[in-house]
Amino acid sequence: MTNQREVAVTGAGAVSAWGWTLETLWRGLAAGATSVDEARRFDVTGQRTSLASEVDDDAAPPPRDDDAWRHATRADRFALAAVDEAWRNAGLGAPREEGVVGLYFGGSTAGMDEAEEYFAALIAPASVDYLRPRIARLATHPLNGPGDVAARSLGLDGPVITFSSACASGGLAVGAAVEALRDGTVDVAIAGGADALCKVTYSGFNALRAVDAAACSPFRAERAGLNLGEGAGALVLEPLERARARGAEVLAVVRGHGASCDAHHMTAPHPEGEGAARAIAAALADAGVEPDAVAFVNAHGTGTPLNDRAESRALATVFGERARTLPVTSTKGLLGHFLGSSGAIEAVATALCLRHGQVHPTPGRGPIDPDLAVDLVTDAPRPFAGGVAVSTSFAFGGSNAAVVLGAAPHAARRAESEP
Amino acid sequence: MSATAAHRPVVITGWGAVSSAGAGRDAHAQAFAAGGPRLQPIDRSAGYHRPHGARLGALVDSSDCGTWLPPRAARRMSPPSRYAVVAARQALEQAGLEGDLAATAVVTSTSFGPSSFTEELLRQILLDGPQDASPALFTEAVANAPAAQIALAAKARGPNLTLTQREAGPLLALARGAEEVAKGRAERALVASVDELNPILHAVLDRYGALAGSRGGDEIARPFDRDRRGAHASEGATCVVLESADEASRRGAEVLARVGPTIAGFDAAAPRVGWGRDPSTLARVLARGLERAAIDPHSIGLVAAGAAGSRAGDRLDALVLRQVWEERPLPTVLVPKAYAGEHGGALLAGTLVALDGAPLAPTPGFRHVDPSLDVVPFAGGIVPRPHRLLLSALAPGGSAAWTILETP
Repeated sequence: MTNQREVAVTGAGAVSAWGWTLETLWRGLAAGATSVDEARRFDVTGQRTSLASEVDDDAAPPPRDDDAWRHATRADRFALAAVDEAWRNAGLGAPREEGVVGLYFGGSTAGMDEAEEYFAALIAPASVDYLRPRIARLATHPLNGPGDVAARSLGLDGPVITFSSACASGGLAVGAAVEALRDGTVDVAIAGGADALCKVTYSGFNALRAVDAAACSPFRAERAGLNLGEGAGALVLEPLERARARGAEVLAVVRGHGASCDAHHMTAPHPEGEGAARAIAAALADAGVEPDAVAFVNAHGTGTPLNDRAESRALATVFGERARTLPVTSTKGLLGHFLGSSGAIEAVATALCLRHGQVHPTPGRGPIDPDLAVDLVTDAPRPFAGGVAVSTSFAFGGSNAAVVLGAAPHAARRAESEP
Repeated sequence: MSATAAHRPVVITGWGAVSSAGAGRDAHAQAFAAGGPRLQPIDRSAGYHRPHGARLGALVDSSDCGTWLPPRAARRMSPPSRYAVVAARQALEQAGLEGDLAATAVVTSTSFGPSSFTEELLRQILLDGPQDASPALFTEAVANAPAAQIALAAKARGPNLTLTQREAGPLLALARGAEEVAKGRAERALVASVDELNPILHAVLDRYGALAGSRGGDEIARPFDRDRRGAHASEGATCVVLESADEASRRGAEVLARVGPTIAGFDAAAPRVGWGRDPSTLARVLARGLERAAIDPHSIGLVAAGAAGSRAGDRLDALVLRQVWEERPLPTVLVPKAYAGEHGGALLAGTLVALDGAPLAPTPGFRHVDPSLDVVPFAGGIVPRPHRLLLSALAPGGSAAWTILETP
């Protein structure tokens, strides 16, 4: 049974270490092998880890908008590619012909990589042969840069809003898009996020001792921290009735969202996952879904000891004893942590899992932590029963977001080769 | 609480601010009665600046924050976090709220985030090596640190969001905070706009020619003036308390204004770092939004414009209003950033001082009407208290937001 509050996902796009398309994302998710490798973008000597999940710039598709592409930061390019793919997949016309189209984005670094270049040149001693600081490198440094660039490229005139609530940003952006559709503020919404690796975040998480020197192992007993990743995810959302009326293929539906704050600590999660549990419960209530109807959880699952434990406690609070048998996966276990855009790529990954009827696996070393009440999907994709999933995002500062997605009504499950 | 709860009218019951004017409503009222922002020389010793160009900025005097935030509590906070917590505490005090504030949402907006902590962290990484990066700096260098610190200070456990949409952010945040209350997802919301001005940010804005004095001439921001040449860079925070009209009535709280609809749009023709030339797209968005909200533009008795002295930004602001008002004269145009400088909280702080009934100086910097805009901003005195006012916020890059406020 669907209701008017449900929102259809009619398009999706992705940029990740596996490639610049949705198809490469699903292939990688289904294969279940980590994309994390030696970092190459910048010197990581002296850091606690030398790993990252990096996007191959050379594999970028031909740009649709040459001017936008030429002046874009890497995060901008991720955003342009993911949004462009999502819009094309949705089979929509020119945005101005689709009513009011809004864009809701999440991110936490935007053009920081380019800003670092500028700053390095600015502070370089005269003896160092740096290029002269080029102010143009800062043009889209602000956090709203990737969302704005994507909106400009599509020629949108509806609301354009970027959230930067650290690692909850992407999930909050999806929630905002859903509300705008429910209110009738917009006719079509693009929800997503983009972030690129940069020295500030790489060094910052190293300084916090929050990184794993090896490929991360969410929910495993030997987990030691996260790996950083980069890329973008984007969803085209519209009211389910609108999608049906125009005969659009519905990839999945977004049924609800919720948010909360721990108000506990600037970086550490509440040890019992109290705020996280409230966000998940709020999302389920918003969706009108009982916890027993949830088929799997795409967890925040960073791989840090504290985060995974708090998330496990939160799941136990919401799902009770069933948490021990509820399939859980972590996209970060495969792609690393996209930070502000992680909620976006994980919403895309969740939609793909719902479309294929399989939960993607989470790689890692050693046994699953016996202290955590989770049924981690390992080794291979696992078929599931039911059609509802929860995607969670938890951030620095205690901001929590959860999104409830459902399988497309009457959807035929896709062959493994299809995105 | 379900999001299907009937949408409730939302009102402002308290506000607080910290800026170059000082901390608190009275300090802002006194400063705005006296004129423009209190400008100081910006520290140029790091060598970020060009030899010529802008030299002044409107900075917060950190000693103004002491009453609201003990030094010990402030010690590990970035400047934006300090400003946000100070403004939030003032707002809660005025609203008469204390005790259990768990069901409170926090929504903040910022243009550039905690600039000085980010700069210091980058210095450590680039000059000393990444192994010397400070975790404390990193934690406070994220854009949502002020929202998190407000939540910690108020024990606010509702949704916690940070928006980063440049000059349009404050109104988008106000709208989001109102939505949290209207839909019953929070009992109240603390909505803050916070920005920090440090030497490198000042230097970058100057290199983009955004500041009064960037291209020579006097260093005076002149919003809507024929001779305007840029803004005064400034910093600070403004925070408002939002709650449902019913709850405010039940508590006997003074209602400062009712929060009406916010209309948001985007001008895709705008350059990445400037404002668009053609006002027709945004005028169409604003007119469409007002029509959908069943608001006749001519029922609006006051416009609080986001103009700050930019040639292109002020022009677009004025021409969008002109198109929507068509042949009819504009209502009184208040220019809050003429009093407070260009920072996110300035628009709301100036507007709320005016709604408090405090007298304001004639619009600082304004001398000559720009015939292409034909806007004569507020001439000084007590702002006529309208039933309905429109706040306007257009950002470089294309984002735009307008919010309707109604007075009791």
